[in-house]
Amino acid sequence: MDLNGYINKSKNIVNMANKNSLSRIKAAFLANFTIIGLPETIKALCYEKGIDAECYNAPYNQYAQEILNNASGLYKFSSNIIFILLDVDKLLGDLMYFPYRLQSQERESIIEERLKELKSLISVLKENTTAKIILNSLLQPIYTSRGIIENKQQFGLIKSIRHFNDRMENFAENDSQIFIFDMNTFCLKIGYDTLKDNKLAYLGDIKISPSGLVKIAQEYIPYIIPLVSKTKKCIVLDLDNTLWGGIIGEDGIRNIRLGPDKEGMPYLDFQKRILELSERGIILAINSKNNYEDAIEAIRKHRHMLLKEEHFACIKINWQDKATNLKEIAKELNIGLDSIVFIDDDKTNRELVRNIVPEVTVVDLPDDPANYASCIENLRLFDMFSITKDDLNRGRSYTEERKREELKSEVPDFKSFLKKLEIKINVMNIDDSLIPRIAQLTQKTNQFNMTTRRYQEEDIKKISETENMIIKCIDIKDRFGEYGITGAVIIKKEDISTWNIDSFLMSCRILGKNIEHYFMKYIINEAKKQGIIRITGTFIQTEKNKPAESFYNDFGFRLERIEDKRYVYCLNIGQEKEMEILAEVIEWKR
Amino acid sequence: METLREVVARVLGIEKHKLNDESSPENISSWDSFNALMLVSELEKNFSIRFTMDQVMAVKKYKDIKDVLKKFGATKGIDD
Repeated sequence: MDLNGYINKSKNIVNMANKNSLSRIKAAFLANFTIIGLPETIKALCYEKGIDAECYNAPYNQYAQEILNNASGLYKFSSNIIFILLDVDKLLGDLMYFPYRLQSQERESIIEERLKELKSLISVLKENTTAKIILNSLLQPIYTSRGIIENKQQFGLIKSIRHFNDRMENFAENDSQIFIFDMNTFCLKIGYDTLKDNKLAYLGDIKISPSGLVKIAQEYIPYIIPLVSKTKKCIVLDLDNTLWGGIIGEDGIRNIRLGPDKEGMPYLDFQKRILELSERGIILAINSKNNYEDAIEAIRKHRHMLLKEEHFACIKINWQDKATNLKEIAKELNIGLDSIVFIDDDKTNRELVRNIVPEVTVVDLPDDPANYASCIENLRLFDMFSITKDDLNRGRSYTEERKREELKSEVPDFKSFLKKLEIKINVMNIDDSLIPRIAQLTQKTNQFNMTTRRYQEEDIKKISETENMIIKCIDIKDRFGEYGITGAVIIKKEDISTWNIDSFLMSCRILGKNIEHYFMKYIINEAKKQGIIRITGTFIQTEKNKPAESFYNDFGFRLERIEDKRYVYCLNIGQEKEMEILAEVIEWKR
Repeated sequence: METLREVVARVLGIEKHKLNDESSPENISSWDSFNALMLVSELEKNFSIRFTMDQVMAVKKYKDIKDVLKKFGATKGIDD
């Protein structure tokens, strides 16, 4: 669809019936040129992803005024995310046209001056908002009068702009709020001629062409998805003609195509892309129609198979339909169907899954395996604002989980199973290094989450600096390995005798081990130590948090009142029910 | 390929029969400066042509668009 199509589409969204069930975000746009159509396109693209985006397009070329005036429309709008697009010609002026009238030191000082201005502008913006700030880097020119000797110029024009961009990237590197959108990689992808339309630039100051604006909107969506916790967690893969070429049941292990030859390389590269995602924290699973023995033999014994059994958290190789398998995978991994991406070369299977489990994201794998790897590159479903240590360990952690399941079948009852696990819990106070993970937990945890309040890193940082707030998290390990930071609590000290639990959540990976009980008991003990008389807490019912429904009640909290879907509980210290503790609470260094 | 009338009506968000030779930014409120440029880009795509800046600036009303398109040798989809 083109820009005009998206503009028309965005107008129709206003009246859509399902609007109230969508996640909502507010996005603001600041630019030094005309970007009409970009906010509308974002709105339309968000709607396709189940997100209701309200957009604010700042007045033309007033990005600085909007940032500096704290009564501006930008601040009144109060957005979750702010996109800033600066045209290089307008920002650097004559330097772009007559760079070599100046000495190299002069060019350098102009660049430094502009850098200083932009950085201080962004710093002011940071002080006034907790929104994510997405700043476009400057587009490198493709022409200079020096031609073939341009890169022999000391601090030449193109070098100056690269320097500017490098410095802005450094500025943002360790900042969880600012993100640099790389205009030059973007241009590399869509092409300079698509990005620019000279005539429209002169006639309407449209520095990015209508089709360029649509493409940039598509690239902005990955910044919006993690804001509403819609990042995908798991890839479910078919085997035949997906992970390898051919059909294992017919061709046999020796004849399937996989390896460093012409025919096998596309599959090998595809596996590399998938493996890297797994190493980044995306869970993998298999959903294949095959004889289990045939397929598992190929996975275990084919010498070019990069994805090994241990990389898969769940393996379904059977003759069931793929939709049923997907439902089982979601259940076994304790994740929502809406966090699953399904990849299969077979169109019929894809259609079946789309119809029966529409929550699952179905990828249209290209017909030609040569394009498999680039299909993964174009997915853009897994972006996150930060990658935590726990993400990097997730793959291993699922293999450990399979071993725990094996132990479960050995020991007769649940209690002795828990004891044999030798669970160790380390309750930690928040520090800066834990902020990204705790924010991530609030965004990703759906099931055991009492209030499902979503917080960005900036919010958690703010809370951690507030005097009457407590944030604690738990680090878990057992004899099979580490779970990492998998639970958190946020407590508000209401007065000297009352604590209110703002958030209490546990990652689905550690459910079913009574760890939530140990954590709550710890909190109650802490409250006692500090002379607290009562703890209040709310259970806010969602579609997904049934596992946490009776938690307060189990602990002897009294239900005070029900307001719509909010169940308000209160516990008078001393009246809590005793819970048997089978784990050891110890401290260790991470 | 759409007709001229279809493209203009779509971009301006109005019904096709409301367009006549004298339609212009004066009497169609959605024909603002931005939509005028959207029209340029949509017409170029639809008729596989590239207007010059002068041609764009010479268009004051619907009939002017027809005349420019005729200069490009377009015959189909213009008079309806």
